[in-house]
Amino acid sequence: MSYVGKPIKRLYDDKFVTGKSTYVDDIRIPALYAGFVRSTYPHAIIKRIDIRDALKVNGIVAVFTAKEINPLLKGGIRPWPTYIDIRSFRYSERKAFPNNKVKYVGEPVAIVLGQDKYSVRDAIDKVVVDYEPLKPVTKMEEAEKDQVIIHEELKTNISYKIPFKAGEVDKAFNEADKVVRVEAINERLIPNPMEPRGIVARYEAGTLSVWYSTQVPHYMRSEFSRILGIPESKIKVSMPDVGGAFGAKVHLMPEELAVVASSVILGRPVRWTATRSEEMLASEARHNVFTGEVAVKRDGTILGIKGKLLLDLGAYITVTAGIQPLIIPMMIPGPYKIRNLDIESVAVYTNTPPITMYRGASRPEATYIIERIMSTVADELGLDDVSIREKNLVTELPYANPFGLRYDSGDYVGLLREGVKRLGYYELKKWAEEERKKGHRVGVGLAYYLEICSFGPWEYAEVRVDERGDVLVITGTTPHGQGTETAIAQIVADALQIDISRVRVIWGDTDTVAASMGTYGSRSVTIGGSAAIKVAEKILDKMKRIAASTWNVDVQEVQYEKGEFKLRSDPSKRMSWDDVANIAYRSHDPGLVEKIIYENDVTFPYGVHIATVEVDDTGIARVLEYRAYDDIGNVVNPALAEAQIHGGGVQAVGQALYEQALLNENGQLIVTYADYYVPTAVEVPKFTSIFADQYHPSNYPTGSKGVGEAALIVGPAVIIRALEDAVGARFTKTPTTPEEIMKAIMSKR
Amino acid sequence: MLMVNQGEKVKIKVKVNGVLYERYVSPRMLLVDFLREELGLTGTKIGCDTTTCGACTVILNGKSVKSCTLFAVQADGAEITTIEGLSVDSKLHPIQEAFKENFALQCGFCTPGMIMQTYFLLKENPNPSEEEVRDGLHGNICRCTGYQNIVKAVLDAARRLRT
Repeated sequence: MSYVGKPIKRLYDDKFVTGKSTYVDDIRIPALYAGFVRSTYPHAIIKRIDIRDALKVNGIVAVFTAKEINPLLKGGIRPWPTYIDIRSFRYSERKAFPNNKVKYVGEPVAIVLGQDKYSVRDAIDKVVVDYEPLKPVTKMEEAEKDQVIIHEELKTNISYKIPFKAGEVDKAFNEADKVVRVEAINERLIPNPMEPRGIVARYEAGTLSVWYSTQVPHYMRSEFSRILGIPESKIKVSMPDVGGAFGAKVHLMPEELAVVASSVILGRPVRWTATRSEEMLASEARHNVFTGEVAVKRDGTILGIKGKLLLDLGAYITVTAGIQPLIIPMMIPGPYKIRNLDIESVAVYTNTPPITMYRGASRPEATYIIERIMSTVADELGLDDVSIREKNLVTELPYANPFGLRYDSGDYVGLLREGVKRLGYYELKKWAEEERKKGHRVGVGLAYYLEICSFGPWEYAEVRVDERGDVLVITGTTPHGQGTETAIAQIVADALQIDISRVRVIWGDTDTVAASMGTYGSRSVTIGGSAAIKVAEKILDKMKRIAASTWNVDVQEVQYEKGEFKLRSDPSKRMSWDDVANIAYRSHDPGLVEKIIYENDVTFPYGVHIATVEVDDTGIARVLEYRAYDDIGNVVNPALAEAQIHGGGVQAVGQALYEQALLNENGQLIVTYADYYVPTAVEVPKFTSIFADQYHPSNYPTGSKGVGEAALIVGPAVIIRALEDAVGARFTKTPTTPEEIMKAIMSKR
Repeated sequence: MLMVNQGEKVKIKVKVNGVLYERYVSPRMLLVDFLREELGLTGTKIGCDTTTCGACTVILNGKSVKSCTLFAVQADGAEITTIEGLSVDSKLHPIQEAFKENFALQCGFCTPGMIMQTYFLLKENPNPSEEEVRDGLHGNICRCTGYQNIVKAVLDAARRLRT
């Protein structure tokens, strides 16, 4: 029996297709509803908050402001110390509500609590806030000048400013045949998972229970403990079904702190589910500009890169925003042997909604920058997209990149050659050329990526075998749609050589799962699956020892195969898996339970993707086809992996062509969900996804690398390149909107 | 026209998944909140409350509607089918089977709305082309799957229902 490598069907779909799924808003518990009064100004002093009329609304229990909530909080929201060197950022921990000054339109200033959501809505409108408006600064480039300071105590808007230097950049530029200017801009996006954020908090007798749409229940338990001063042993965080997250649900919001604090004050359960408009303010992402110069040789060799990366943090630092300024520069060299770099990374505060991470978080930006560099240099030197990359790809692995990242395994050049062939790149190029002659505006684009993923430092796994021999796997990862639970069940069923129907996988509850990092950064199958293999080996070892002691032989004498324990010296002596499980259960030993913290760190999948784009006479672009060729290491479940390429690919279509969190001069979000343009079934391409047969495994027991983010990491660069081919103009931005495309078309006439 | 004084409730009668309910509701209560909060039928999801995403799609008198865009009082006298009413005798409906078989869901949040819209689509057009399927689903947003497997599932469901 072997499950790994096969497209095994997802194990727990029934509840989702029958409507029995339970997301946080589906939990029925008598709780007060919360709603928020939000700032209408980007930057203003709060003079007075009058709640008297709000309290007169039928069913309203309380309205709390900074005065009531903040004193309960011993700390505030801060960057994630596991992955972010928090000392390299200037920031103040963010409390639930601002004490005296609002810093963006939509910032919550008070929580309204009532018996149904309709009366809460009414009461929100009856809270009167007097503001004294201040001059806002909403553009990064302006904020950097420090003429308007957002956080007075920091004395500057610049939170982070670090040069990333390697090699000899001046020498590289002196030796260059040509210097090419490159600009790469990622506008502000919104992850927009289908399920908006939500939380239910119940505080009773000193114990806090939280049901929370989160990717990181254990980290949130420790944050609630640190911020509220409640010991972790008295906090339980449960992650129910989570309706998508894409990184947005790793962060903790002031609204959620206010909900928990309100439950503590009132001693009653309190719930909040964000409306879509609130969700669109809660997690915004990307927004950064790279401007730089590239030193090149006439033959296409890239000698060096220097430039500046400017990133928006929004008004406050979030749990995850710090990842981008740290990791983007280190991944700019990507899969290429570029050794001379000088990149200044600067992150600034602006009077805009805070930035969080979104699928790929830093790797889409780094890939967009380096792939724009490759394509632009190719154009400037009259080379094609494949040969410029071939010229510069790293050829010997493992390889230490100039910033010290160790690329583990692969054949970057081989994959490019094979990928171009398997995906039919040149055939499509020829097709597009013919079509353009007939007047059709179509183009083909290609881009390459190297991804750093499966971040450590560890993951937890536990296996229990019950008295009937059925297996419970408790994983520290926190799947929320990816199907990781099915992949882990495949891995464990193989490791124990039992039927997959005997394996159940659970996760996400801090009382059940002893320890956990969570699901993010394309890590779960690789690090979570490897932890599961390791703990399964321990269980098997224990079962062999039980068989050995039953037979009164040395453990080396016991063999296990396909559900049967056998004595080496006497093959007639056998015991079934079920028998050994039952013996273990009836013994004085607490039974068959093994736990493990499995430690490991990053690995590097890579691949080449191509796309075809068609542009109509009004400048509206559509991606017709998207094809991917990836080496993601050993593929545990090809159907699940392919689904990640589809999903990431559509988000790439959105980022490249349609989606933008447009802000006005006050930093106010001026698009609704309807005109933010999450792609629907009619705007998306046909996908082809191929995983390399000759894959290069990671050093993890699963041999896998990661695939969750690949298509959104490389897709925007692929699609923008195809757009350039279709229109015959240079584009630098995601999204490149119909207006910009039209302008390019007109200027060519 | 129905005249209601502020704070007063209105009596409605609706049949949901074959069960008759008589309730007093506030005239501004949305149908989706009636289904979820009053009847406890939480299979119908709220993704945007602005008629954009389709997660709240149900069948009302034979037509698919976004239940966040109707008041409960507008459903007075109506027959409604929600995702909970689709499978009979705990046997999955062929559309539900097809979604499972084809990896047509990831986080599952859009799934009830997708399935109800598919149900309507295939009633209207039992043998749709791929383009007709995409067009028929374009009021339902999925952020996870990229739609390819959903479209595959709908075409598969159409085949299953025809045979």
